[in-house]
Amino acid sequence: MERRVTRRQALKAAGIAAGIASSPWWLVRTSHAQRAKKLVFWHVPNFTPLADELQKQQVYDFAKQAGLKDSDVEYAVVANEQFQAKLAAAIEAGNPPDVTRLYESNVQYYAASGHLLDVTDVVDKMRREPKGIFESAMSSVLYKGRAMGVPLAVNPWPVHTRLDLLEQAKLEYPKTWDEFIETSKKIQSPPRLYAFGMCLGLVEDTTDNVMNLLWCYGGKMVEADNKTVVMNSPGNLAGVKVIEAMFKVHKIIPPGAISWDNSGNNKAYQSKQAAFVMNPSSIYAYLDGNDKDLQKVTGLFPVPAGPHGTVNQIDTWAYGAFKKNPYPDLAKGLLDYFMQPANYDKIIQSTGGRWVPVYKRLFESPFWTSKPAFRYFIKMAETGVPVSYAGSPTPAAGEVLNTHVIPKMIQRVLVDDWEPARALDECHKKIVEIYARNEKG
Amino acid sequence: MNSVTRTRRLLKWAGNLLLAVLLVWTLVPFYWMVATSLKKDKEIYGFEATLIPRHPTLDAYRRLFAQTPFVKYLRNSTIIAVTTTVGSLVLGSLGAYALARLRFPGRSVIARGLIFTYLVPQSLLFIPLFAIMSTFALIDTREGLILAYLGITLPFCTWLLLGYFRSVPVELEEAALVDGCSHLSALVRIILPMSLPALAVVAFFSFTQAWNEFVYANVLVNSVDVRTITTGLTLFIVEDVFFWGPMMGAAVLATVPPVLVYLVFQRWVVKGLTLGAVKG
Repeated sequence: MERRVTRRQALKAAGIAAGIASSPWWLVRTSHAQRAKKLVFWHVPNFTPLADELQKQQVYDFAKQAGLKDSDVEYAVVANEQFQAKLAAAIEAGNPPDVTRLYESNVQYYAASGHLLDVTDVVDKMRREPKGIFESAMSSVLYKGRAMGVPLAVNPWPVHTRLDLLEQAKLEYPKTWDEFIETSKKIQSPPRLYAFGMCLGLVEDTTDNVMNLLWCYGGKMVEADNKTVVMNSPGNLAGVKVIEAMFKVHKIIPPGAISWDNSGNNKAYQSKQAAFVMNPSSIYAYLDGNDKDLQKVTGLFPVPAGPHGTVNQIDTWAYGAFKKNPYPDLAKGLLDYFMQPANYDKIIQSTGGRWVPVYKRLFESPFWTSKPAFRYFIKMAETGVPVSYAGSPTPAAGEVLNTHVIPKMIQRVLVDDWEPARALDECHKKIVEIYARNEKG
Repeated sequence: MNSVTRTRRLLKWAGNLLLAVLLVWTLVPFYWMVATSLKKDKEIYGFEATLIPRHPTLDAYRRLFAQTPFVKYLRNSTIIAVTTTVGSLVLGSLGAYALARLRFPGRSVIARGLIFTYLVPQSLLFIPLFAIMSTFALIDTREGLILAYLGITLPFCTWLLLGYFRSVPVELEEAALVDGCSHLSALVRIILPMSLPALAVVAFFSFTQAWNEFVYANVLVNSVDVRTITTGLTLFIVEDVFFWGPMMGAAVLATVPPVLVYLVFQRWVVKGLTLGAVKG
């Protein structure tokens, strides 16, 4: 009944199986370099279907100009949530996209690990355009003095404000954080409406919101040398005490904010449960398509001033081109095509205000000048700073953001009732360790 | 006597209560998905969470079918899950039969290796798998995804069938061989018909694994034409904005095929889980 297989047969079969199983490991080394001429673009969805469609069209138009057929273009749509894992796998396999969109800390990370193509010539051309570009965007793409990414958009984080509530209370938008607290107390009616939808959960937006307020009190995370961590400074202490008072004493922040995810402040504003939220204009752009009535009564303002004035946050998205690409001129050509002001302006405007142009002169377009909501954007884009201020968005700063060190600090104060100084001290030590480790490489 | 009856009654009530809690635990998320898919954005984001939609609308479903490639996702998921299921049944049966009935060196090592292979987490495998697929130009193809899924389902299915096949009396097969059947013919005519419950479990397991899988679908597929439902759902999140209506609508529709498969195989699945899984 049972059939016997000889030892020789078994060894032969095992040898063949081992050969087949191991062949990908040496084949993969050469496969990418030998690939046919084509263009691989990974698209992370923009804010509107129209912007996505225009971008796709531009990729294919460029490919045609460059003598490629449609079938030579590999155009992939990668959701933001899936992007990191997918890119990590592709890089590890030696098969990253030729061009894709990267967040500021990713530009620095992939530049430091030697994966990105130097695109200084493309960026220099952009800088030579009349009126040039917002230089504030450059800190996120410059690595060792060379541009390793092409700044796509410089995004202010304005305070989305319910103008109708201010009008009802006959109040102006507050100029200082002290005024902000007083105004908040007058316009809120908890539990249905809290004044300040400040993100306080263990998420990235919390770092953004907290640091933005601390800057106004003279605080910062790291000095401009990207080495000296100053998290336990008096400025940060003063700012944390203000947040603590807003949450515990004045009760102008919803208690649930400590468990919010990155969309928590969006939802609070969109559902009219918060009068002020600090966020990029994704909320404003969402309202454009989904709640025009709320959009009409929404103002976008710089953050109120603290003892050290008003400091506004910006973040920068950029296009990155990967070195592995055997056809770098094609990738650079695509970047240049995207950034030609006429092409670029179409995409920017189609996002309904979500992306803010990196070219200064594009702000002269009626799209930006006709809407009062955008009147502070140009100043915010010019003077804004990244979340890693006073440092640059280095890989270390990216790790601080991704590991939620600052959100944990603020939760120590608000949830565990730690003294702010103690919480800042713990946070300081963690950030020092992160920067030291990254410094060593 | 009275006390025994009372205890039994009490236990029965406690059991019923536990089942009721589990039922609510299972059904409420599903109900919430359905209800959210029927609400307007304003209601979804409203201050009060409404249990029953105030103004039910099929708007989310209209957007889903008119403005998104959801039908493509559904088609791809179906093709991939059905092919993976068929592949798991055919290859799993052949593999399990060989391990159960044929004698060759390393048989027991292979049998044990199957379960160890199944235990390796996907998060460790996806990068090497991407490299392999990339080399063989299987990235962004349904074939690539099917092969990757067979890598998940085959070890478990073979192991499960192996246990079941061993429980089939060998005398029946010997009689068939004496009557002129080949090994393959004995497998098809004798063993498989007697193993329907185990095959149903294998089919159900393979289908749901392939239908619900996310990590490989995320890493190995780029284009909309090959994308499956699980990764398609994430496109309803743009940065920090969630498009809840269409996302919940898609989730509701995505649960229908596995439920149908379960209803079809239910009778055998229960039997297979209680018999085959513990044998061997």
